[in-house]
Amino acid sequence: MIWLTKTLHELSPNCREAVRLQSDALDRPLTRLQRIGLRIHLALCVWCSRYGKQITFLRQSAHDHPDELVAPVQQNLSAEARARIKRKLHAENK
Amino acid sequence: MNSETFSVQEDSNPTPRQEQPGEKNPPPGLSDPEQWVNVHGDYLFKYALMRLRDPAKAEDAVQETFLAALKGGKTFAGRSAEKSWLVGILKNKIFDYYRKASRETSFTDLDFYADEESDRFVADGLGRGGWIHELGPAEWASNPGSGLDNELFWKTFHHCAGKLPKNVSAVFCLREMDGVDSKVICAQLGISESNLWVMLHRARMALRRCLEINWFGKP
Repeated sequence: MIWLTKTLHELSPNCREAVRLQSDALDRPLTRLQRIGLRIHLALCVWCSRYGKQITFLRQSAHDHPDELVAPVQQNLSAEARARIKRKLHAENK
Repeated sequence: MNSETFSVQEDSNPTPRQEQPGEKNPPPGLSDPEQWVNVHGDYLFKYALMRLRDPAKAEDAVQETFLAALKGGKTFAGRSAEKSWLVGILKNKIFDYYRKASRETSFTDLDFYADEESDRFVADGLGRGGWIHELGPAEWASNPGSGLDNELFWKTFHHCAGKLPKNVSAVFCLREMDGVDSKVICAQLGISESNLWVMLHRARMALRRCLEINWFGKP
């Protein structure tokens, strides 16, 4: 009977579980039961559907905009480090 | 050096090439290694600083990148190709750093936001595990992608990512920004896949929430 309880549980994840499954789905294939349970949940739950779209959006935008992500970093390579690196390169490049 | 990169001149004039040893002007596109530091130094430093969160370590990573690049001895027809080549080397240097760090202290950071996650969902009773009403994800703009060319969006993103604990942020960068495979991350950092998934889950949850409050929720 334990398997039945487990199966029923996988088929009806709560929000907390549905959110976790959607995150996991970005990193690993879900099991068949997990996929079915998640699909049923998402058909009924607008919050979790939004959540999934939003974390996918985060992944996509982070992946596609490497330069924009770096741009807000205020600090630059210091003059000392710059000079030191140039000296090293110069010494190695002989 | 690098004489093979000189393009063959389609010059009918049979006079031999007049290259002086130690010639000052490299051919177009072949940038002088010391010029690398001027052209790409700041970008690489920012890139490393965002991931390592320590200026001294970021400087080291940049220096090692240039030295490795010098040994690699490649030349490029354009700056953008040169930049992505250097970024590729830098990524490996940063990964090496994480790997070394993970040998010294455990890389897994599971305490992070353990409470925050519980705070979002009903703890018990009939609606157990459901969103607490006011904390359910809000509708973002109908076209959230329209903010992506806005500098302020990326400032907000940066600010939110900066609030993640260091190791959580590191795996988020590797997985989501750099697209490194989960199995590779786990093998290199010596963490289990289930720990990685928990860290990524919490990173996504916190980042999503932070952006909702500070960007999408603003009128």
